[in-house]
Amino acid sequence: MEQQKGGIYRYGMVIDLDKCTGCGTCMIACAAENNVSVRPDQTDKERTITWMKLYKITNGKEFPHTEVSYFPRPCMHCDEDGRGHHQPSCVSVCVATATKIDHNTGIVSQIYTRCIGCRYCQAACPYGARYFNWWDTYFPKGKGLERYLSPEISPRMRGVVEKCTFCHHRLMRAKTQAYAEDRTDIEEHEYTTACAEACPAQAITFGDLNNPEHKVSQLIKSPYAFRLLERLNTKPKVYYLSTKDWVRKMADNYLPGEFKPVTKVTG
Amino acid sequence: MKNQASSSQKTSKFGLTSLFNRFISFEKGSTFLPPFSFGVWIFFLAGLIPSLIVGWIIYPMALYSKQPQPMNFNHALHLNPEIVDGIEGDTETERCLFCHTFREDGTFAGIPKLDKCLECHDDPESPLGETPEEQEFLNKYVAEEQEIPWLSYFRQPDCVYFSHIAHVKIGDQDCETCHGDFGRTEKLPAYKVNRMTGYSIDIWGRNIAGYKTNTWDRMKMDDCAECHTENDLEENNACFVCHK
Amino acid sequence: MEINRRHFIALLVGGAAGINATPLPWKFTDDIAIWTQNWPWVPVPPTGEFSHVKSVCTLCPGGCGIEVRKVDDRAVKIEGRTDYPVNPGGICPLGMGGLQLLYNESIRFTGPMKRVGPRGSGKFIAITWDEAINTIADRISDLRKQERPEALAAIDGNPTMGTMASMIERLLRAVGSPNYERIPSAEDTYRMTNLVMQGTEGPMAYDLENADYILSFGSGLLEGWGAPGRVINAWGLWQEHTAKRKARVVQIESRASNTASKADQWLAPKPGTEAALALGLAHVIIKEHLHNADFVDAYSFGFNNWASPDGKNHMGYKTMVLNSYSPDQVAEITGLQPKDIVALARDFAGAKAPVATCGKGKGYLNGSLYEFMAVQGLNALVGNINMPGGVLVCDPPPLSPLPEIQKDTIAREGLKKSRLDHAGTRRYPFSKSLIGDFAKTIIKSPKSPVNTLLVFSANPDFTLPDGGAFREALKKVPFIVSFSPYQDETSYMADLILPDHTYLEKMDDVVWPTGLQYPLYGISKPVVKPVYATRNSGDVIMQLAKRIGGSVGSSFPWKKYDDVLKERAKGLFDTQAGLVHYDGSVPAWKRLRDRGSVTPDYKNFDDMWKKIKAGGFWYLPVHAYKNWDRLFKTPTGKFEFFSTRIELAFDDYALLKNMGIAEKGDAACMPHFEPALSGADRSAYPLLMLPYEMINLASGWTPPPPFLNKTIFDNQLRKNESFAEINPKTASKYGLKEGDRVTIKSPQGTVRVCVNLFEGAMPGIVYLPLGFGHTAYDEFSRGKGVNPNDIIHMGKDPLSGHPVWWNTPVQLIKV
Repeated sequence: MEQQKGGIYRYGMVIDLDKCTGCGTCMIACAAENNVSVRPDQTDKERTITWMKLYKITNGKEFPHTEVSYFPRPCMHCDEDGRGHHQPSCVSVCVATATKIDHNTGIVSQIYTRCIGCRYCQAACPYGARYFNWWDTYFPKGKGLERYLSPEISPRMRGVVEKCTFCHHRLMRAKTQAYAEDRTDIEEHEYTTACAEACPAQAITFGDLNNPEHKVSQLIKSPYAFRLLERLNTKPKVYYLSTKDWVRKMADNYLPGEFKPVTKVTG
Repeated sequence: MKNQASSSQKTSKFGLTSLFNRFISFEKGSTFLPPFSFGVWIFFLAGLIPSLIVGWIIYPMALYSKQPQPMNFNHALHLNPEIVDGIEGDTETERCLFCHTFREDGTFAGIPKLDKCLECHDDPESPLGETPEEQEFLNKYVAEEQEIPWLSYFRQPDCVYFSHIAHVKIGDQDCETCHGDFGRTEKLPAYKVNRMTGYSIDIWGRNIAGYKTNTWDRMKMDDCAECHTENDLEENNACFVCHK
Repeated sequence: MEINRRHFIALLVGGAAGINATPLPWKFTDDIAIWTQNWPWVPVPPTGEFSHVKSVCTLCPGGCGIEVRKVDDRAVKIEGRTDYPVNPGGICPLGMGGLQLLYNESIRFTGPMKRVGPRGSGKFIAITWDEAINTIADRISDLRKQERPEALAAIDGNPTMGTMASMIERLLRAVGSPNYERIPSAEDTYRMTNLVMQGTEGPMAYDLENADYILSFGSGLLEGWGAPGRVINAWGLWQEHTAKRKARVVQIESRASNTASKADQWLAPKPGTEAALALGLAHVIIKEHLHNADFVDAYSFGFNNWASPDGKNHMGYKTMVLNSYSPDQVAEITGLQPKDIVALARDFAGAKAPVATCGKGKGYLNGSLYEFMAVQGLNALVGNINMPGGVLVCDPPPLSPLPEIQKDTIAREGLKKSRLDHAGTRRYPFSKSLIGDFAKTIIKSPKSPVNTLLVFSANPDFTLPDGGAFREALKKVPFIVSFSPYQDETSYMADLILPDHTYLEKMDDVVWPTGLQYPLYGISKPVVKPVYATRNSGDVIMQLAKRIGGSVGSSFPWKKYDDVLKERAKGLFDTQAGLVHYDGSVPAWKRLRDRGSVTPDYKNFDDMWKKIKAGGFWYLPVHAYKNWDRLFKTPTGKFEFFSTRIELAFDDYALLKNMGIAEKGDAACMPHFEPALSGADRSAYPLLMLPYEMINLASGWTPPPPFLNKTIFDNQLRKNESFAEINPKTASKYGLKEGDRVTIKSPQGTVRVCVNLFEGAMPGIVYLPLGFGHTAYDEFSRGKGVNPNDIIHMGKDPLSGHPVWWNTPVQLIKV
């Protein structure tokens, strides 16, 4: 395999919150793609698993000036510094080496068969992107629901942590296709996540942040681009866009007067 | 601190020597310490030998269940160009790929489906060879249009993602590197599966101790990583490359 | 030799040493570790060959294109497809979860069944298809022998223009029953609006993508209205336009829905006063001469005052609007600010391609006819009827008519009997079917006039309002047959189940997705082989007809349902236009705008049909714009602000009161505002309850896939309790805090919910989501939340007679 060494790709995502309509298709596309367990009691939010989760926020103004907006939240796939000093917070705490960052793609992996279920990573993640399987995946005998499970993702057992993988199997799928066509490199459109593909408003863009040709690396240059809890220095690879100040302000905990609205827009 | 350390070293040395002396003294028949009596040795061996037998012979036999394949398949015969000319390819690996093919999307088809067999054995009435196996195959499967329920020796567990095309086409590996000389066998061995894990014996390897002399003797994670590292492809040891 | 402790220890030591000198401990440890990674009850999905099957989603009338990913024979994922004209890749959350409907055995019927327990218990036993078909055939034959074929009735939830609907109606007519009932939807109100104002029977076609100003009167553009994959994509386009051309969206709705929040402007009039607002806008537009005089003067009727041939003077639309709907008057009615109304009117009329849309929520619920007329009047005022970016006037889809129905004497006599719901009579001249009155007639009669009821693709027991009145009607019907593939509430009341395939197992057509601006005919085809012993209802109807025999049997000359589809599709070929391939780089709406011509990309009919079946669609992205002089099929040949059809139907203005119309004079023939009446004592029920729809909640006939529950916020449904959205101000009046339990009481019934304090809720109104509170299906949805239909007061919309969903007076009682 002719692959260049070390941090060539940095896959990331840009979510345009102005376009996001809060429909929840991304959540379901994700759950359907990744064999995420469904349970009858998942209407209790403490018992549900949602790799991609929608957060609803309001501007808090009185009727009829109320506005609602949504934050779709996948795993942020926090970045490393490339020298092994700075790691995503979940990776640095994992005692079982079950979660690691792939230096080549920037994708943070989670290996269920390796996970011992200590939930340290869950505590370390500031975004709540990690979910613990308190129960076995719910496929009762005779219901037949297991028939829609995809063989590309391994169903999880009780007692392990799981999270968004940026649909890593789709990267492997794209590579396999490329190899079949005698290519070793894949095009931008060949690897995208299930949520980005499904979004009916085309609010989610996925691609290689290192590649200036990719749409994501252009989008993150926007003055309206921001990341969640940026000042924790977690270096998320998921960016958001919003022209609304109140939405951008929600992305971090600002002291009074600390938040700087975008005033000058160029380009 | 220093003294303590050295003294403890001394005691341990002393302990070892004395233990050693015991054995020596027994062999020399010394009367320095009461030696283990002959009876003790008998009992020791009575414990040792059966447990060795259990560990090396009985356990492996009990651990693996044995299942015959639904019918025999003669790889050697099919891959012999003097007998079968339909299987094309310049190298051995290419000839393997004739039946164990890559699909259009690059995924590996694995054990061929009946359709593949039918490309040559298209008529149940007219066998291409003279073997009883072929007759059985034609009567039982081709005529009835039934898939052969082959048992796969090399299926990795569900948590593993393995890309054949990356190894064979891009990595230029031969089938033999991992699968050994399967292509030259005349008889399919019985399918042995680990009763505890459900894995085929070929994953851990046929040697119960897990010793391997050939690259194809074992298919565990370390073996994958070893090869990646040797070939200077350490980035492929990232977890998600092989796990799903 | 004496055996002592020492020997025993030696044995153990020897054993331990021996075992450790074998691979056993290491192998054992390793195997145990692996064993814990492979519990036998954690499913291992079998792998195989991947493939994709293209089809069309029919879970809602939107009909988005879908591509199903399969592994060997299993479907594993539904995705949107990019080579389908309606939706460029995206689909809605419901469509995404479709496989959970296909494969969830506990919500499906696995074959024909017969009820053994009491009604509603869901206890059935399996029977054979022959027995099932014979049972109904015998019953229908008996009715015909007794010369009362009209005692057969059917309730149909299939899309109006689809072949399935025409097959069901055909069966009833061939048997001799006029009692074909449909589930009401906004489509009905659209049809009536077009009929009375334009004289056309075609669908309402909004050219959304090309519009630059969208004034939505409650249309849930982001809650699943129309074809969600298309409308939400259009939303993205509106945002994407350059600053110069960015489209502006204004949402008129009382609650901060997703659409209202995301719109550029949100105006919240009191619910039910939207018609007044539309007319108030018209007032400003007319008064300030902002209307399109070309259109209004030459191609409209009833704008100015006019005199009829008998010399009688009539009031025109202009006079009515100027007299009764000034910004101040409208502000009084709607609760909005007069200056907002004026500004909105100027914006709307000033836009290049403004379009006003009606049809609230997802469009599953019918609307108010006068309100729709008022909104359509706005489109006419700005001359954006049949113009790019406006409302296009289209002919009905060019499908071949099916051959004449054979009727014997019994059928002819039966069809002469009046409908049980009086639709189409002088009382409700424009409605085709009124299911509420149908139920009322059954309840009022001492013995049910309906002997056998067939239910297709509908779950009226759950989706109809009025506090379980429909269930009372069902209880009285002696024999109910459900054709639903799902174990829904209505099926639980049925005596016989003849399960249909689910939408992923059968061939059916999707004729003109709701709201699309060009004709499109889609084919949804079997994605997987039928999972259970179900049959396509289209085939079952034919088998049933053949079994009844006589003229009923000969009315169905086809072998199988697919032949009917093919026969109807011949009309598409006869247009000598249309395409069966779609190139995503030139969207259909762009082609439409660029006014190109279309050369068919198929050779002959068989070629076209083959390609439709493979690709899944036929569409015609050309439109004859403007064409105002030949467009309208009204008695006057013009767009009618004053509907002569309504006037003709009235015959005598004295009848108006019987029709539920408060207005007395000429205004009754024009769009006007009528306050909804409930008859309830408003001092006892001071608040209003409004149901609302969400895109991530299945509120119609389709069961909710379990995945949807993941997307529901915990202030909408937590554990098994659903929440009512209440404005904090209203809540504080009742001493309610977030999460408090409260009983909502209406004259029709009570429900118990929790309180969600939401600033986006209009004070004085309690909002409940539609789609919760199932009593059927399985543990994923049964008993979760409450169904607002249980307490909705079903008023009657003046003129159309359809239910009014937006006017339920309630009181709150803290628990």
